[in-house]
Amino acid sequence: MVNLQNVFFDYGEGETLKNISCRIDKGEFVAIVGANGAGKTTLCKLLNGLLKPSSGSVVINSMDTRTTKTSALAKSIGFLFQNPDRQICKNTVREEILFGLELAFKDKGLIEERLKNTLSTFGFQGDSNPFNLSRGERQRLALASLIAVEPEILILDEPTTGFDYMEAMKTMGTIKELNDKGATVIMICHDMEVVLDFAERVLVLAEGTIIADGQTREIFRKEEALEQASVLPPQLVQLALRLGEGFEDVFSVDEMASAIINRMNKERTFEHERFSGLCTG
Amino acid sequence: MKGFLDYVPGNSFLHKLNPLTKLVLALMICVACFISENHILLVAIILLNLAIAKAAGILSRGLMLLKGLTKISLVIFLLQLLFIRGGDVLITLPLNLLITERGVAMAFVIVLRLIGATMPLALMLSITQMNDLSNVLVTKLKIPYKYAFTLTTAMRFIPIFANEMSGIIEAQASRGVELDTRNIFKKIKFVLPLCVPLLITSVKKIEGSAISAEIRGFHLRTRESCYKGYPIRKSDVGVMFFSAFLVFSAIIISGV
Repeated sequence: MVNLQNVFFDYGEGETLKNISCRIDKGEFVAIVGANGAGKTTLCKLLNGLLKPSSGSVVINSMDTRTTKTSALAKSIGFLFQNPDRQICKNTVREEILFGLELAFKDKGLIEERLKNTLSTFGFQGDSNPFNLSRGERQRLALASLIAVEPEILILDEPTTGFDYMEAMKTMGTIKELNDKGATVIMICHDMEVVLDFAERVLVLAEGTIIADGQTREIFRKEEALEQASVLPPQLVQLALRLGEGFEDVFSVDEMASAIINRMNKERTFEHERFSGLCTG
Repeated sequence: MKGFLDYVPGNSFLHKLNPLTKLVLALMICVACFISENHILLVAIILLNLAIAKAAGILSRGLMLLKGLTKISLVIFLLQLLFIRGGDVLITLPLNLLITERGVAMAFVIVLRLIGATMPLALMLSITQMNDLSNVLVTKLKIPYKYAFTLTTAMRFIPIFANEMSGIIEAQASRGVELDTRNIFKKIKFVLPLCVPLLITSVKKIEGSAISAEIRGFHLRTRESCYKGYPIRKSDVGVMFFSAFLVFSAIIISGV
């Protein structure tokens, strides 16, 4: 589905991306993490053809981005930018969602149905003015107009920036639903809690190269790679790493609770056995 | 021409000149361009602009400007060629359009003037910090700070808006808007709605700038607040004489 082969890219000021090779299959939920300036946004812009590789190839659904227009790639790729104000260009929420739908489909019935569903899923008033919404709501509207099209691949550049916890969870829930229906999600994220909760695979980027690629839980154990990329795992995982033996598989509150109870039970049994030994001795 | 007004740091003779001298030189080159109708002098002024760019270490920017202006000039040249009439008729075209001797000469003059007069201001801004320009306008030309600030802020915002527009175009192309089409009419149709996000962002940015200037004590700033001195050195006097000589030459050559 997404195939990058020996991709190099530079803006004319030294190489931003160096020898990137990776393959992302249909239905995967991938997070790209790394420090600011590591090349995450550049990598995503290469995926939808906004940037063309200096060398190497980027192939999306058998289409080479060097020979395919971004507007043609947009039929299968939805891209959410960090700044929603660059995307919103209509006077009402309804028109904004319709804009994306009309670019993608011709069937009026389908367009109306998708519009209705999107408005109800995101809880928007169709007639409200997008520019009167809060920053978080405008970001959700930008996302809604992408999700309405149900793209095969969804690329999200920091989708939860500016959201409170509830908004972030609600939005990520909607993205996860789309992923469950088979869409591939590629997300840049600085919130490691969100990465742990939603991503199945993580690419760690540092100084333009992928320094680690694997399952989310496996990556959060690679302290050295994360340190190199200036990324800290979620606090719960950091605590589990400090506690060591018996806490290797702890990645959630429930898992932490079970691990603590297990450790306490073991120690209680050990103390009991020691006390019994002393009494009989 | 992304970032064509951004300051390029350097240590050249031109960088070290007083901002006022650079402003005078740029304006005098413009004046010389508008005085003269002599093709050779206008070409010489364009070459002088490139020499200035080379001396300031920004030749690539100078050439980039020249390239961009040449593209715009082609359209203007065609229009002038068709609408200025005088002298012998060289070619007769359908729809009663004539290409005349004066039309060709004037079209060249206008295009060379456009290039010659636009380049020095852009080059001057590339080698002058906006703060220095604003300070010198306040201290030497006695312009109230409020107006100097407005002028420099307007210029500072040009590259910001250009950057914003390219971001908006990227966002819309990613949604499937065919901004990468080669059909110019289609492109205009698609670009027009983008004025809405640009306008909204611009107003927000301006409002933000005004608020941040206000909370940092903008109203307290006076002419005396400028602690940096901008002395006029011998080199500045030399460049000012050169500027005057340029205008004088244009007057003599054109016989005004």
